[in-house]
Amino acid sequence: MSEAILTMENIDKSFPGVHALDHVHFDVRSGEVHALMGENGAGKSTLMKVLTGIYSKDSGTITFEGREIEFHNTREAQDAGIVIVHQELNMVGDLTVAQNIFIGREFMKGFRIDDKKMIDESNKLFAELKIEIDPRAKMSDLTVGKQQMCEIAKAISHKAKVIIFDEPSAALTEKEIEDLFVIIRDLRAKGLAIVYISHRMDEIKVITDRVTVMRDGGYVGTLITSECSKEDIINMMVGRVIYEDPKTESHVPKDAPVVLKVEHLNAGRMVQDVSFELRKGEILGFSGLMGAGRTETARALFGADPKTSGDIYVNGQKVTINSPQDAVKHGIGYLSEDRKRYGIVVQKSITENSTMASLENYMNGAFINKAEEKKITEKYIKELATKTPSPDTLVVNLSGGNQQKVVIAKWLVRNCDILIFDEPTRGIDVGAKNEIYKLMNRLASEGKSIIMISSEMTEILRMSDRIVIMCEGKKTGELDISEATQEKIMDKATRDIA
Amino acid sequence: MNKIKQNPFVRKVGFNRVILFCVLILMYTAFCILVPGFFGKARIMSVLNYVYFLGFLSLGVTFVIATGGIDFSIGPVMFCCALISGYTMIFRGAPVIVSLIMSIIIGFLFGLFNGYLVAYWTIPPFIVSMASMNIAKGIAAVYTKTQSVSWPLSTDPVNGWFRSLVSAGGFPVGLLIFLIAAVICMVILNNTKPGRYILCLGSNREAVRLSGVDTKKWEMLAYVICGTLVGIAAIFFVGAYTTVQPGYGDQYNNEAIAGCVMGGTSMAGGLASIGGTVIGVFIISLLQEGILALGFAKDIQLIVTGIIVIVVVYADVMARRRKN
Amino acid sequence: MTKKKSILSDQRVIVLLVILALVVIYMIFSKEFRQYSSILSMLDFSYYDVLMAIGVTFPLITAGVDLSIGTGMVCYALIAGRLIRDHNVPVVVAMLICILLGCIVGLVNGILIGVMGLPPFLATLCTCMITRGISSMIMATPWPTTKQPGGWFHSIFKLTFGTGRQATKIPIGFVLVVVLVLVMEFVLNHTKFGRYTIAIGSNKEAITLSGVNVKFYHVMDYVICGMFAGIAAIAYAAVVPTVQPGTGAGLELDAIGGVFVGGVSATGGYGSVLGTLAGVFVIVLLKTGLPYVGLQANWQQIITGAVLIGAVIIDVIKRRRLAKEQ
Repeated sequence: MSEAILTMENIDKSFPGVHALDHVHFDVRSGEVHALMGENGAGKSTLMKVLTGIYSKDSGTITFEGREIEFHNTREAQDAGIVIVHQELNMVGDLTVAQNIFIGREFMKGFRIDDKKMIDESNKLFAELKIEIDPRAKMSDLTVGKQQMCEIAKAISHKAKVIIFDEPSAALTEKEIEDLFVIIRDLRAKGLAIVYISHRMDEIKVITDRVTVMRDGGYVGTLITSECSKEDIINMMVGRVIYEDPKTESHVPKDAPVVLKVEHLNAGRMVQDVSFELRKGEILGFSGLMGAGRTETARALFGADPKTSGDIYVNGQKVTINSPQDAVKHGIGYLSEDRKRYGIVVQKSITENSTMASLENYMNGAFINKAEEKKITEKYIKELATKTPSPDTLVVNLSGGNQQKVVIAKWLVRNCDILIFDEPTRGIDVGAKNEIYKLMNRLASEGKSIIMISSEMTEILRMSDRIVIMCEGKKTGELDISEATQEKIMDKATRDIA
Repeated sequence: MNKIKQNPFVRKVGFNRVILFCVLILMYTAFCILVPGFFGKARIMSVLNYVYFLGFLSLGVTFVIATGGIDFSIGPVMFCCALISGYTMIFRGAPVIVSLIMSIIIGFLFGLFNGYLVAYWTIPPFIVSMASMNIAKGIAAVYTKTQSVSWPLSTDPVNGWFRSLVSAGGFPVGLLIFLIAAVICMVILNNTKPGRYILCLGSNREAVRLSGVDTKKWEMLAYVICGTLVGIAAIFFVGAYTTVQPGYGDQYNNEAIAGCVMGGTSMAGGLASIGGTVIGVFIISLLQEGILALGFAKDIQLIVTGIIVIVVVYADVMARRRKN
Repeated sequence: MTKKKSILSDQRVIVLLVILALVVIYMIFSKEFRQYSSILSMLDFSYYDVLMAIGVTFPLITAGVDLSIGTGMVCYALIAGRLIRDHNVPVVVAMLICILLGCIVGLVNGILIGVMGLPPFLATLCTCMITRGISSMIMATPWPTTKQPGGWFHSIFKLTFGTGRQATKIPIGFVLVVVLVLVMEFVLNHTKFGRYTIAIGSNKEAITLSGVNVKFYHVMDYVICGMFAGIAAIAYAAVVPTVQPGTGAGLELDAIGGVFVGGVSATGGYGSVLGTLAGVFVIVLLKTGLPYVGLQANWQQIITGAVLIGAVIIDVIKRRRLAKEQ
């Protein structure tokens, strides 16, 4: 093995309230594929953003080709030869492949853009990668897989020495992944250094030479892939045994009625034939990795996105849900993972947000009964222990945890019996997290039924009575809490479905 | 400064509204000093004539802007209402009451048309405005065969009574009606379901939709309210200025929008103040009277309001940028 | 891979068929329309629309708009006309001043929108009102007629040989606008400016990340638009006997409507100047042709408005179908 081309030493980075990177070490050598692994929020992306100049580091050193460097934007990193292939593709859909690859650095012939040369160069790149893409094709007409190939071609055209793949396989089909691996092996053979961020255990074993594992913003360790087992890596990723009082058995009585039954739900590629049941008073955990299709399932169920097929039964009755209005009518409430975009109207008051879904109950003829409205809001502020000077405070001025409580209040005011919590504690600090957990437990014991989507293993094990595991848009398993372990869940969540 | 901001009355009314009101008073004082004879009832009545119709336009467009949209077909639509209903009265012999109702209905229909296209067909509001502006002008011109229409004077024994909607025996009835309308709009915006949803969807449409609210319906309603108020504006326009000519009316778009955004309604949607709009309308109306009194051409008004809108909207854009 | 599309799926082809159909209908129903002079006059009145439309294609591709082109055009024609009449400014200088004024107003629009971040329709609505206010304060202005000194500029758009009824007139203005269309089509497809214009309308974020000076190109889109409004002012002065103060509002709609009919997407990112040319001719035919089939000229405004909405609805339907497929 050669010397490391890139070394990151003692990288430290804090955001207000979060220690995102805690003296992390990472290095990559020419001619190797180095996996960077960790659960969501472990700090992988932050580390790569520090490397490519999107974030500035607080301390630590980055050495590239023997010299200490610090980039201030992605352009500088690109020029030096460090290129990132993003998960969300940065493509101009209305331009052609060749135009996209060379955007911002077109070949010129006087005034004229030399499209012919760009097409020739693109063809050369594609030939080098041994892939077949027509450089004249419009970008938006390509499949996601091909678009990804174009991003790779773009990266190579920058004369990259280090290419970072940020979860490249998340949106690809099996066949496309195989193609991708052929390319990656090829690049490795050419002596490029490759950083491969992924959740998929099987891929890691197939494609990478070394694995570095991160957890909670810290560096856990580096292993040589061929010398370790899948279990070793999972153990390093999960690590902590200190999850606070995980549930040992389901709190739901055996004879509790089924309040929600979903059968063969289909909605695009991310929701394929998903079926499950939810019982009264149950907290049903939805586990899986990013992009497993959990949020998409919830949104399709809630009517927020169109579904192609599937039957939904509420309290044994078959119902039609084509819009959120229908869902709310049947007593389903949805708390989005992206609160600011989908959950609350930040520029409005707590009161206005709390009664958003049930305004018709707070009317006095044609007028809003503001006193009544305020009373119910105050009731839930007290009940949920929302920290706010008054019900008239704008939601924008509340902390994340308290904003989440406002969203919960919205559905409680509406008297929804089925609540879908999508990542209920994302962006919420530890103390507030516990409060939300307590609250969810209380709601369940009061007879509400909860679907909880979470990417945090500890959260899933602590809260759920039963766990549904999804992978690649399909349901891959269901476990009762009494039999669930992190390893079992991780295994199902990373299962390769051929 | 902070002390003033903390004053309970100021906080209730809104600091910007207080400032705006001071500007209004200062402007009036300035004109009184600069123009001999500006002080007095005649000038005030003249300003009020302008306030009535512009006020209704501004109230209407406030609802649309609150949803984050825009309607700059309001001026020509107002003319269309006045022309078609006036023509029907004068050349087809309809009683004035029918014409008044007709005017409101035409405005309502234009609002329905605009709102439907914006909410259900997701056509950008400015394109819809452009189209309906011309459709309004075209329909009016075709219907009246490009003649101008003069509404009956107050001396007209049969139909003249409608003038008393504007002023009766020297008393500004129009002001009363306008202020009542403003209060109703304020109540709608702040105390009813449509108002609540209009404001919220202007601020975050997706969150409101995911709360199980039919956002399309309420968005369309904002345009319908706007259209209806434009129909009423037409009545006050002819009540004050008698004659309408086909092919005009677009100069009032900008003045109505100016009155609205000056009053603190944000172009980004979600934030609207009827009280602010009312003061804004008074400022614009006073400005146009003052410009005329100072001996400038009326056209300066176009330039001045154009600049005002740019400055006010830029201030709004900057304020939002700073917040993020 | 890209599917092979039927030739009919190109909106420009459909638009061409519409033009043909309109011409055939007019020819059948109206004897006058069949005369050369009718065609000539229709062309005369099309030039300024086409020129404005070429320019406004660029802001529209960036998903913006310029509402100030109509009143702007009249304003420049008036200012330049006064300079010729009152200050003996040579016509060629006056023409350059028209173009320069257009560029200046375009620059103002561009800065308001691209740099200061104002909504495009609002910023240009204001400049529309401002240019209109300025033009209202200028006296009505006839530019030199063909017989007066300086009248040579008419020959840019129409060559006249001989005099009186026997005169032969050749509409070379058509050649001129076609050349300009081809030039701008080239600019759109083969220069950085054009490429970044499309990219701004399609995915502004992506192109900013690619290190392109987006603000500069965004401003330039409006400058180009203004420049063409300036050129249009010359064409306008050539066909209108007297440029009237305070007019021009609504003329921008013919141009913008034409661009949408020509296939520019209402959400930006796609467009073609050739399509714009075809689209504008649909509008021009509707505008000038209606009286030949016995409809009042005022129907024109209603029909243009309806055509605009129709064109955008087609775009919406197309996009919805595309979204469903994915």
